[in-house]
Amino acid sequence: MSSRIFASLLAVIGALVLAQPALAHEQTGVGGGLIRGLLHPLTGMDHLIAMIAVGIWGAQLGAPAIWVLPITFPLVMAFGGVLGVLRIPLPMPEVVIALSALILGAAVAMRLRLPFAAAAIVVAVFAVFHGHAHGAELPSAADPLAYGVGFVVATGLLHLCGIAIGTLTRWPAGERLIQGLGVVIAALGGYFLAQSFGAAA
Amino acid sequence: MNFRLGRLGIAAAILFAQAGAAQAHIVASRLGDFYAGALHPLTDLQDIILWVAMGVLAGSLGAVRGRWLVLVFPLGLLAGLVLARISGALSAGPAMNAGMILALGLLLAAAARIPTALLCAIAFGLAVMRGAANAGDLGPETDRLLFAAGLACAGYAAITLIMALTLAFRRPDAGTSLAGTSLEWRGIAVRAFGGWVAAIGLMMVGFALAS
Repeated sequence: MSSRIFASLLAVIGALVLAQPALAHEQTGVGGGLIRGLLHPLTGMDHLIAMIAVGIWGAQLGAPAIWVLPITFPLVMAFGGVLGVLRIPLPMPEVVIALSALILGAAVAMRLRLPFAAAAIVVAVFAVFHGHAHGAELPSAADPLAYGVGFVVATGLLHLCGIAIGTLTRWPAGERLIQGLGVVIAALGGYFLAQSFGAAA
Repeated sequence: MNFRLGRLGIAAAILFAQAGAAQAHIVASRLGDFYAGALHPLTDLQDIILWVAMGVLAGSLGAVRGRWLVLVFPLGLLAGLVLARISGALSAGPAMNAGMILALGLLLAAAARIPTALLCAIAFGLAVMRGAANAGDLGPETDRLLFAAGLACAGYAAITLIMALTLAFRRPDAGTSLAGTSLEWRGIAVRAFGGWVAAIGLMMVGFALAS
């Protein structure tokens, strides 16, 4: 009992002595830009589910989609990001982003097997719109380069997460689970679509 | 047992309580400018991205082609530093740096098998560019020789280590029983990394144009 008290005391002393000052709302410099870039794709639910759905669909489609996707998607998305940085407007961005979650979720749920070129075009169009939304934030970031690094890494990791989930298709139960996930993503996409039209609060 | 733990606790508390400020910034000491030169590129995100991308590109092309960079890259850094001191301002603009990030990323993503001469030319050009950019930190009281030695050593160490890590990652005997599959995925991982680098470069080109 005493040893546990001493161990706890030791831990408390260590924690207190090594405590650093809390830097709340620290959004300056490289660290601030990196954190903002990393969090931007993660904190927007519509972006997050669409990115994961892209990864899952790529895994369902198999080669070459499963390996072309992580290589080219960030690049296409960055193209959209450039349009956002240059303030070149895209038609109805919120609607298309919501639509992307709906369509990609439905594709996962229905195990839609489009030809590779057709699937690539669908994903590329959505990637440009998602990238545009992220890119518009870049000039106001504390450190634009760090923001770009954070945003690309977060997007890439979301794809990898989707691809990892997509590997469950090897098992029948996993396939059903993924299809269920696709239904949830499509439903959320439908909700965001309705919200973008002002039909939902 | 309890006494020992108690003594350990008291000793730890005393050590923590008496901890002084770490003298990490040894600029004022004898070899300070060497460390200033070595650490300066490591505190700049542009240098880190460009150096890592260059090292991964060289490593992905194999040891025979990449080994030239062990010499070419530090020499390029020194050449850039010297040129910047002679000509005054030679630092590349943001668009040039962003373009270089994009180009290296595209070469990696495309898994381009570029010849050794072109690889060395790219590495030398990049090193000259970044050497000149790092010359911006040279003050009137800075020991230029020590700063240059530090920068060259950092370039040598960084490029060699990154190339070695990439080679180790992609080496044929790194796989398990599923060697073919493992190698295939390792190649895709390197290309995906290139796609990420190219995406960062493309966005920064856009930002440079917008600015």
